[in-house]
Amino acid sequence: MKIRKANAGTLTNFEVLDFLRSRGAATDPTRVIAPMAQSEFKVYDYLVQTAACNQTKESIDEFLKKCKQYDLAKAEILNIINIRPASAVEIDSIIEECEKRMGERVEELVEMVVQVLPPPPNEPKPEEGMDEDKEENPIAEQMEAS
Amino acid sequence: MFFLSLIEHTLRVPPHLLSLPLNKAIMGELEKLFLDKVIANLGLCISVYDIRSIDGGFIFPGDGASTYTVKFRLIMFRPFVGEIITAKLKESDTNGLRLTLGFFDDIYVPAHLMPNPSQSEPDPENKNQVRWMWEFQGEKYPIDGIDEIRFRVHNVNYPSIPIEQPKESRPFAPMVVTGSLDYDGLGPISWWV
Repeated sequence: MKIRKANAGTLTNFEVLDFLRSRGAATDPTRVIAPMAQSEFKVYDYLVQTAACNQTKESIDEFLKKCKQYDLAKAEILNIINIRPASAVEIDSIIEECEKRMGERVEELVEMVVQVLPPPPNEPKPEEGMDEDKEENPIAEQMEAS
Repeated sequence: MFFLSLIEHTLRVPPHLLSLPLNKAIMGELEKLFLDKVIANLGLCISVYDIRSIDGGFIFPGDGASTYTVKFRLIMFRPFVGEIITAKLKESDTNGLRLTLGFFDDIYVPAHLMPNPSQSEPDPENKNQVRWMWEFQGEKYPIDGIDEIRFRVHNVNYPSIPIEQPKESRPFAPMVVTGSLDYDGLGPISWWV
């Protein structure tokens, strides 16, 4: 086995989730029919709980265009897309030397993130609440698709 | 967290797969070989993304199977240093925490990378486990398994395979991620929301 290129491109969580969905992870409730291994289903389960599950290609493209003015490093942009911070405190751990580089503009950046990228799925607090949210999300997706 | 890796491999396709279309047979063999395995310095292989080229098809003398040189891309899981990841608590003991992502369990947060100052207290519910508390401005915040924990990747290690291991130690982990909670915005999400 030879490694031709160790890094042939970084993937956001959304792209991996999209790839797994295109292999049939979402539509198969029994998890036996789809041509995927159990370990791939585990990755799908993890990604569906993160902010990536509601994102679309268009929202990510829009975010990339708009964040050019803030001069962020590639790793920081990737972190923001994957985590989708909703407050300044969360952005602080992602961007190095946040106050020096951004100062007042942190609030602008947070607002832009909240506007452009869709919010993550609701956090499960009581168990009944979690079941209801899970049922709502796939139905909403099917309605949009049709 | 994830990235693509271009790999070239000389693959022997066993004869019982001769009835399948070539792409499917090769995909099946690649998945058996690489899926859910750790490649040193590259990470954990999650999935085969695509097959770029298939060359060869030679049959070596005395062998019943054909051998192909395949170039393909794998989706690898390898967090980079400084990445922020959300994970669930698996265990906590006096050395620190152990977090899990579902598909990957070997994430450790050692005691010296916990938010400063913290202390561990024996957990009233579980006898073997210890609960970590963070003291901030006079209040104590516990780290319990209720919600997800955000951590920053401090280091990714690929320890070499040991020749012998003492009986009671943990099963060998080919890839170990060390995380840190010592920063604003890290730790259980409920602390910051």
